[in-house]
Amino acid sequence: MSKPLIRLTDISKSYKLGAVHVRALNDVDIDIDRGEFLALAGPSGSGKTTLLNLIGCIDKPTTGRVVLDGVDVTAVPLHRLAATRRDTLGFIFQTFNLIPVLTAYENVEYPLLLQGLGRRERDARVRRWLDHVGIGAQAKQRPDQLSGGQRQRVAIARAMVVEPKLVLADEPTANLDSETAGRILELLGKLNAETQTTFVFATHDPAVMSRAARCVRLRDGQLAAEETRALVA
Amino acid sequence: MLTKIAFRNVFRNRRRSAITLTVIIFGAVGLILFGGYKARTFWGLRESTIRNRIGHLQIYKRGFAAAESKKPLELGLDNVTDLRRAVERDPRVKMTAAQITLMGLISNGEKSETFLATAVEPAKDRAMGAQRMVAGTELPDNEPDAVILGRGLASSMHAKPGDYLTLMTTTTTGSLNATDVRVAGVFVSGVKEYDDRAVKMALPGAQQLLQTKKVERLLVMLNETDTTQAVRSDLSALFVKNGWAMEMKDWSQLATFYHQVVLLYNGIFGFLGIVVFAIVIFSVANTILMSVFERTREIGTLMAIGTTRGRVWRMFLGEGFMIGILGAILGVTAGILLAKVINSGNVMLPPPPGYTVGYRLQIMLQPATLITAALISIVTSTLSSIVPALKASRMKIVDALGHI
Repeated sequence: MSKPLIRLTDISKSYKLGAVHVRALNDVDIDIDRGEFLALAGPSGSGKTTLLNLIGCIDKPTTGRVVLDGVDVTAVPLHRLAATRRDTLGFIFQTFNLIPVLTAYENVEYPLLLQGLGRRERDARVRRWLDHVGIGAQAKQRPDQLSGGQRQRVAIARAMVVEPKLVLADEPTANLDSETAGRILELLGKLNAETQTTFVFATHDPAVMSRAARCVRLRDGQLAAEETRALVA
Repeated sequence: MLTKIAFRNVFRNRRRSAITLTVIIFGAVGLILFGGYKARTFWGLRESTIRNRIGHLQIYKRGFAAAESKKPLELGLDNVTDLRRAVERDPRVKMTAAQITLMGLISNGEKSETFLATAVEPAKDRAMGAQRMVAGTELPDNEPDAVILGRGLASSMHAKPGDYLTLMTTTTTGSLNATDVRVAGVFVSGVKEYDDRAVKMALPGAQQLLQTKKVERLLVMLNETDTTQAVRSDLSALFVKNGWAMEMKDWSQLATFYHQVVLLYNGIFGFLGIVVFAIVIFSVANTILMSVFERTREIGTLMAIGTTRGRVWRMFLGEGFMIGILGAILGVTAGILLAKVINSGNVMLPPPPGYTVGYRLQIMLQPATLITAALISIVTSTLSSIVPALKASRMKIVDALGHI
């Protein structure tokens, strides 16, 4: 059996909120395999975003280990993980988080520039991904000229353009109407099937959970339940 | 791409950038106008001091400057004709003028005052244009007993052109001598203290009064002030070659007042520079800090998708740099235009301390001033974005992403 893409071992995370110590995660163990389409589900405050941040190498656990693609990332300071985030991970945010002064094309091009890719290769990849997510016609528009759904498609293209091993999506449909949300989920499912990229969502949207092949439920910072089902295409 | 982001962000909040740019432009314009005014004042004062009074170089008998002579003109120049001929052979030399200074008492028969006389060659003195006549005529050529008086002294002596006065002084042999002189005219030099004591007389008259054939010094006027040091070293070589026991002083050693003014103005200019520097620093730092604060989540996103701290730092530093460049371009342009407007207007300034005549406000646009103003704008703007840029690059990604 091949090693999991992500292995979380005895993960706890606590932080101070004013004078109060909050324990966001408590002894969590999860393995996530390559190609999975997984939802981290739970109510607000259950710790799902915290868990996503730890997997995304943008936060550190208080105790425990995060092994990403065979590398113990907990042993490395966060600012030294910029290259890992750039090459291995893709991020999709609830509020899209596009760079407002850049066009759709430039937003998607940005991670490739960080990778130092040549102009021709960059252009080919950006156009391919913009077309793939159905936003090719809006390439020259800036985020404020795009609808919510279109913005999220640009964000998906930005996450996918580096051909990451893992895409992390924090409530990717929360700011979209249900019809647009459905299309976005459909797109993400299609990308998962086509590219075998691993997708991990943090969500409390039943529609997202219903589309996930595996749904890990969190409650009060601990694993509460886990369901696995055949992926609904 | 980071440059692109930085550049576009400069224009993102136009009002804020406009306010910051205005501050930088005001600073640059202030530096250019004051710098240009200072340069023009230095140049004007230097050239008038040299051409009207002290010359570019003064030649004396060796030992003149160091020794306190026992008797007048003990260390005077005996044979000025050969010296003058040799000096004037240099094409960089415009002319030479022999002078003597002497002090003594001036009397109208009822009242005596001390005087400070400069004995000159009348034609050379007129060429130097050292004074402005307010009554009578300039010093005539062939009248050894004619004098012109400073306005203050003429007033104190109740003298007008055509009146006779008596000058009394010590001769080169140490005895007292007196001579009657005719007042040809009354002048103002611009410096009141000088005009209250000043007498100008022809060299032969002074030599007769002092009972000597010597002169005290030979003033050397050049065509270009910039050639002073070159001519000085060539003349030194000439003196050595001819075995002449001479010494020289250049205008810079003699123009004490000029150096005081330079020191004062440079002090003011330096202080103004610091004030402008501080205002620009705080203004730009404030703009960039606001920008960092507004874009916290954007910074979090950039770092989450793999942008390093260094790149974030450079991006914000780039914004400060670009604001500085824009401010420098606009500020220097505005400064040049304003200077031209001021120069074309006939703005008169009041007399400076110690002077009796005002002068026209002129701004001298020198490349050095413009470059300094531009560099200060760019450097201060860039420097002031260091701290905000550091703040941006040190953000915790999770906190930044959660920022609303």
